[in-house]
Amino acid sequence: MSDLTRVIELFQLPFMQRALLGGVLTGLMGGLMGSFTILRQLSFFSDALGHSALLGISIGLLLGINPSLVLLPFAVLFALGITYLLERTRLWTDALLNIVYSSSLAIGVIVLSFVGQYKGGINNILFGDILAVRQSDLVVSALLVVVCIGFVGLTLRSQILLTLHEPLAIASGIAASAHRTAFIVLLALVVGVSIKAIGVLLISAFVVIPACAARMLSRTFTGYVMLSAGLGALGAVLGMVLSALLNLPSGPAIVTMQLAIFLVAMVLPRTKLSAV
Amino acid sequence: MKEIVLSVEKLTVYRETYAAVQDVSFELEAGTDMAIVGSNGAGKSTLVQAILGILPRQAGEVLILGRPLTRRGHLPSSIRQQIAYLPQNFLFDRRIPITVNELVALGWDDLGPKLPWANQKQRRLAVRQALERVDALHLGTQPISRLSGGETKRALLAYCLVRPRRLLILDEAPAGLDVRGESEFYQLLYQLKQEQGWAILQISHDLDMVRKHCDRVLCLNRFLRCQGAPDYALSPDNLAAVYGSDFVRYRHQH
Repeated sequence: MSDLTRVIELFQLPFMQRALLGGVLTGLMGGLMGSFTILRQLSFFSDALGHSALLGISIGLLLGINPSLVLLPFAVLFALGITYLLERTRLWTDALLNIVYSSSLAIGVIVLSFVGQYKGGINNILFGDILAVRQSDLVVSALLVVVCIGFVGLTLRSQILLTLHEPLAIASGIAASAHRTAFIVLLALVVGVSIKAIGVLLISAFVVIPACAARMLSRTFTGYVMLSAGLGALGAVLGMVLSALLNLPSGPAIVTMQLAIFLVAMVLPRTKLSAV
Repeated sequence: MKEIVLSVEKLTVYRETYAAVQDVSFELEAGTDMAIVGSNGAGKSTLVQAILGILPRQAGEVLILGRPLTRRGHLPSSIRQQIAYLPQNFLFDRRIPITVNELVALGWDDLGPKLPWANQKQRRLAVRQALERVDALHLGTQPISRLSGGETKRALLAYCLVRPRRLLILDEAPAGLDVRGESEFYQLLYQLKQEQGWAILQISHDLDMVRKHCDRVLCLNRFLRCQGAPDYALSPDNLAAVYGSDFVRYRHQH
């Protein structure tokens, strides 16, 4: 049996189809939100959010609640807490994020030590398990994709102005603080929803890598945002195929393909492709 | 009597722990051009940023087209759309991918949620006309990261001009323009106030330009030192109060 036939057969299995769709949805929303995240220099924020999710998962396990139910409210509260601290302390963003993320990681590991044997395994928390994605997870992801597209699409002008020059945005009547908070909450939800599939260690790659690749190929802002979302989804499809072909873990395979796309974007001649 | 476009009453703005602007009051009429002059740190940029709601104020009232600016910097969107602002330093991350056409189009759209492709034809036409007005049509497809300082100023001016406004606030706007660009810029401002009745509030360090082009002058030194027609406001006594007597002696000798 050829490799191609084997891959086609694998993708006829329902769990592989769910994994593929889950990967595409995660890649799509990661790329879309990532396009603004990197320009607003919040890449480390998504990383910190992902790592700190371990604390949320640990608390859920300790209290005997399904970690997935704890994760989303925890991610949102955590994101709002960081935003509040950044505004109140006026410390450097990377320094403050480092404090928060390393300490919540440490506390998360301590809390996990009280939980005993976690049947899902620490590996699943760290690297995710896209093959375990259920129908209900897909519904949540699809809803979130719709919300992300709606938010970015309907407020595109405000988002671009805020990214470009905040005083100019405020002078034109954009409620900067409300928009910033809405974006952070949405980003936290994207990270929270994607962790099950991707894991806390790799989640920021979904947000950062497609956006960086799209940046290198784009000339216009609108083209950049759409390309970033598209490359996020493309990376997921290629990664799932690679994973099926070589029997590799799916999350890392997707990130590897995203890296490949990024490297291709780096070496492609800029003059031809930067007209997007 | 002309309509009052901007009314500022006893405005006080704190930066950190000191009052950068204190007790400043003035009015700006439609179809007039007012300059704010003063030394570095006199509170000129703070004043315009407080008027725009970028900085919070600690006391006083700001009315734009008869509507009060709230303490949180809120104005009805119908009023906001009548205001254009050209900041002193348009510092932005040059890695942001955005073309001049896109930047100018940002000034055209109404506030509030809408589909990105709505009114595409009208938007394109308005952008084209605005760029033509500032002699920058050739820059439309350029990324703004590739523009020179003067070209960036033209693009921003087109952003301000892309829809009809009532109030234009400029923070040292002609800085970066060449001699021809500067002359065209003042000609354009003259047209906007004379033909379209725009009220213009501009911060300037160029006292000769202020004397030549502006209808009224505010002399600021945290407090309002004087206001009036250029001949009165820029008298040696008033300049000495704003810039110090050494400056007036130097200016007189040169």
